[in-house]
Amino acid sequence: MELSLIPQALVSGVLAAGLYALVAVGLALAIGVIGIVNFAHGEFFMVGAFLAYQLFVSFGFDPLLSILIVAPALFVIGALIYQSSIRFVLKAPELNQMLLTFGIGIILQNLALVIWGGDPRTISNVPYRSIGYELMGINIGVVPLGSFVISVLLVGGLYWMLARTRVGRAMRAVAQNRTGAGLVGLEVDRVYLVAFALSALLAGIGGVMIAVIQSPTPTVGFAFTLKAFAIVVLAGLGNIRGIVGAALVVAIAESLVATLVPDGDALRNAVFFAIIFIALVYRSRRTA
Amino acid sequence: MSARGSVPKVEAADVTPRRRAGLSRDLIFTLIFAGLLLFAPTLLRALFGQASVSYLSLGIRAVALAVLALSWDLVARTGQLSLAHAAFYGAGAYTTAILLKNFDAPLWLGLPLGGIVAGVLALGLGAVTLRLYGIYFAIATLAFTEVVKAVVQELPTAIAGGTAGVNVAPLFRPTFVPGEMERWEIAFLRNQNYFYLYAGLLVVAILVSVLVQRSRLRSAFTAIRTNEFVASVMGVNPARNKLLGFVISSAIVGVLGALEAHRLGSVIPEGAFAVHTTVLALVTPIFGGLYTTIGPLLAAGFLSGIEETLKRSLAEGYLIVYGAVLVISILFMPRGLVGLFDRVTNRRRREGEERP
Repeated sequence: MELSLIPQALVSGVLAAGLYALVAVGLALAIGVIGIVNFAHGEFFMVGAFLAYQLFVSFGFDPLLSILIVAPALFVIGALIYQSSIRFVLKAPELNQMLLTFGIGIILQNLALVIWGGDPRTISNVPYRSIGYELMGINIGVVPLGSFVISVLLVGGLYWMLARTRVGRAMRAVAQNRTGAGLVGLEVDRVYLVAFALSALLAGIGGVMIAVIQSPTPTVGFAFTLKAFAIVVLAGLGNIRGIVGAALVVAIAESLVATLVPDGDALRNAVFFAIIFIALVYRSRRTA
Repeated sequence: MSARGSVPKVEAADVTPRRRAGLSRDLIFTLIFAGLLLFAPTLLRALFGQASVSYLSLGIRAVALAVLALSWDLVARTGQLSLAHAAFYGAGAYTTAILLKNFDAPLWLGLPLGGIVAGVLALGLGAVTLRLYGIYFAIATLAFTEVVKAVVQELPTAIAGGTAGVNVAPLFRPTFVPGEMERWEIAFLRNQNYFYLYAGLLVVAILVSVLVQRSRLRSAFTAIRTNEFVASVMGVNPARNKLLGFVISSAIVGVLGALEAHRLGSVIPEGAFAVHTTVLALVTPIFGGLYTTIGPLLAAGFLSGIEETLKRSLAEGYLIVYGAVLVISILFMPRGLVGLFDRVTNRRRREGEERP
């Protein structure tokens, strides 16, 4: 146990929390507004990462710039998936809904495996990748800091949209009462479409950032599906506001375990399970 | 329970005499099927000679897939989505591996013990999570798999081999008798013995599936699946019934995992706990027809054939077929192959009525 590492772990945790919140908030949007538990959410994230990688390799696009292409691309992909499949199971049993998204996830992940193979892919030669600052003995990389700032802006933007804009208010209305929202003239199906596409877009932008932070493989999406679920369960299914706090808890816990426990890297996933588990037991106590 | 408050459709309760008749019919079919499995190796050998070795290994994989599928269906009958079948498969595989590596245990002990360990794990996981809303259960099972994998990886290397895994001794070592047999016959004998073991497990899985279908458990499971709240009002204990299905299902998968560890010769965390296993376990019964016994069996034969063909051209990503089959099944044939078959026979029957 190295106590002097704790401040560094806390800072890394907070920086990671931005990205986690960005991914989880999209999942919460799908659950809260549409009522779809999307097991393919992490795969949107993965697709975003690999699109950024491909844009970099083929055209030399800077990842920051490629966000401008990846975001609309993921919006379209999300919309297409909603139109071609999700919309048909909205009234089906929950089991079918979960299985459908799980199947979509399998397809996306294995499609990526077929196209890019299973090896990690690195976006090298980005000038800012290795820059870092030291502040009172704590190292802060430009990339994690940048991803944190972008994430905060996007999550803040989403909250603002939900609170202030017409689309956002429509989403909240549909989330509260589908029938009622339809009765006052909202096109419920359109709102669902936009919410799902938006959720894919947010995950995709997160993916662009992970492509710079790590060297992802096509299985990165699955790992982030789990992370996003841990956060969403902690916040309460469908609760969009609680995501930021839950993301902070999850990211800091992960960072502390990885730093303080010897060989803690493999136990990182155990952190998510522990959080999911504790949240579950807590909730069952409260409802019982 | 549906979150949007749709009207639950409850299947009509079974009339007992009919159920009894159905049971004896199913048992006879199971017996016939077991007999076919018994003669399959001899028949293959007579027909194909040396090539029968690879046909037998394909048969073993198909049987393994059928076991996975039937056991997953058992949990699905209670309306639960289990994404933890890889965890129980891996638990069974590692039980026998750790047992043989660290203790002077008999070669066969790992098979029943693998089932017991998987069952106990399922009991623990289910006791906490099965009381909850379905979504939480699915998420918890998904996370559970990752944790069991992480824990096995973190165990001391001397005990569980870490990421490099453990070698597992084969169950059968046929001896080569020069002059009396040919080289390939050793492989054939080994495959034949494994095939019988797998087939035995499959028959157990079929019997469990049939008995659940033809007993009062069927009504209990169906009631819980269609509306948990109504079921509990009518005196069915949802938590206990769900737990029963989950534990039996997981124990069967645990035995399968142990068998596979022996047959494949080694276990590694990435392989034993691969999501792959869970995917196979759930796609097969959905494609064949949920809540039936024949559906998963049909689909296992069909899908293992497709997988075999596809593996030749795609090294990675052949699971894409399973994803596609899953999506197509959910969207277009929610009752699977069995549902398709029913539709065809019903139409024929209707046409028959029109033409006297």
